[in-house]
Amino acid sequence: MTDFLKGYDIQYWLESCPQGYLEDTQYGHGASAREPDLVLENPTLREQAIGTTVQLVVGERCALAASSGLINAAPDEASKRFLATQTLDEARHVEVFTHRLYDLGVKKGELEDVIAQYANPNLVHFAELLLERVDAKDFVAGVVGQNVVLEGMAFNVFEMLQAANRETNPKFAQTLAGTIADERRHVGFGENRIGSLVREHPERKRDIEQLQKEMSYFMLATFGDQMRQGPTPEQVSEIVTASGGTPVRQAEWQGLKLSEAAPEELEAVLGDTILKEFKLRLERIGIEYQTPERPAA
Amino acid sequence: MDLHALEPEDFDREVRSFEFWLDAVRDYLPTADGLELPPDDVAPEDREPLITVLSSYCVGEMMALEGAGGLIRSAPNRSSKIFLSTQTVDEGRHLEVLTNRMTELGVEDVDAEIRRRANPYLLEFRERLLDLIAQGRWQQALFVQNVLLESMEFAAFCHHIQLADARTRAILEGIVKDERRHMGFGENELGRLIAEDPGLRDDLSHLRQEFDYLALGSFEHALTELRIPAAEHPTLKRGYLAAVKRLGFA
Repeated sequence: MTDFLKGYDIQYWLESCPQGYLEDTQYGHGASAREPDLVLENPTLREQAIGTTVQLVVGERCALAASSGLINAAPDEASKRFLATQTLDEARHVEVFTHRLYDLGVKKGELEDVIAQYANPNLVHFAELLLERVDAKDFVAGVVGQNVVLEGMAFNVFEMLQAANRETNPKFAQTLAGTIADERRHVGFGENRIGSLVREHPERKRDIEQLQKEMSYFMLATFGDQMRQGPTPEQVSEIVTASGGTPVRQAEWQGLKLSEAAPEELEAVLGDTILKEFKLRLERIGIEYQTPERPAA
Repeated sequence: MDLHALEPEDFDREVRSFEFWLDAVRDYLPTADGLELPPDDVAPEDREPLITVLSSYCVGEMMALEGAGGLIRSAPNRSSKIFLSTQTVDEGRHLEVLTNRMTELGVEDVDAEIRRRANPYLLEFRERLLDLIAQGRWQQALFVQNVLLESMEFAAFCHHIQLADARTRAILEGIVKDERRHMGFGENELGRLIAEDPGLRDDLSHLRQEFDYLALGSFEHALTELRIPAAEHPTLKRGYLAAVKRLGFA
């Protein structure tokens, strides 16, 4: 256990993150980068960008509260130090995505109202469930909820968003690339640390599986809701063409042309990817995937 | 950007940001290929006392790590949460460099050594600080963490820097730079809260009396363990009291 945690120490984090892929960035992107004019000027695209970014802020606020709250619950010093780096990563994510909302024209005094207006209720419910476990100082449940379910599932969504924005919005794509690099580290820690705890305490396996079943519903429901909202690819093409631009068709993710895919196709491929990787991750941890059920209303 | 031209709210947001933290620490953080520490030149007879001192520092930094992390939840706004996140990683880094130093000095099981040598006054300080945090008492917990605990560490490290071997001194000098930032946040945030609610100052003064006993007790215990002559003990205690006073909490 000690050896694997050596790869998650603060010195490593400093060299790879602030002194590595974040070098020469400001709020996660190049100092001169800005949101595309079309996103700022077109009400439909701007609203879509605000709606997406609000989910990122809500998810990252939850991750900040969870990772900082888990420091006191961690059973060993090395895990506490790793969680300190994760806490700062999550705070940085809150900062960069909040700044994106400002860049999109949200006024500072309106921030909380905008977040309340657009926050997905399923994501809010997920956060409540996770923070209940963190408040109870349940380290295993907290790490499963945060580093395995929340970040493990969000990871693929970030990758898809990054692929979709690489050509059309390099500023947002760069911000996402830094976030993805952080999430990769967090997910790796969760997988390794929970894997070792499941081996030490096999009696907790059933409890962890139940937790995964309960929590993953709300994450999948959030992704589904977001996919079904906003303009269709045809509407986006029309907006781009009407503004005198040429719609970008190159963006691909998992073999799907993102600028042409219908919401149902996006949801299906995202669901397949998330679940495929998620099942593999759970297998490596030593637990079996449980199909989530719709909670009783 | 001219920080001093900003409105107070924007100034706070800026100086508490991740970006500001990164700029502040960039010059003194060790990197893969830079900031080499001086060679180890601890005399054999100084090794044991140094391990005892470092063990106490580790208990203090562990408490500071748990405290800063725990405070994030009750912080009243985003900029405070973000600042406390930078403080959390600072405290974790202090713990890491101090435990590495113990390993360099030949300690094989650092955790066991820290437990064996732990200062009982510090352990009680930790328990009471974490209680305040668990109760969500933001102002009181921030006062104990960022004024009293940071002043204790500041006084102990500044005192030790004058006597330390070159390698330990370089480590402590880096830590002290972080402590100044943490104390500044506590002073600024509590100063604003006291201006809004003057009764808070009395509340914090009572709290201070309770915690001073533990702070001064922990210094006494450490100095006795180190067999420092009793005549020299008041210097360190005065350093702590002066640090608290400088922050406006005489």
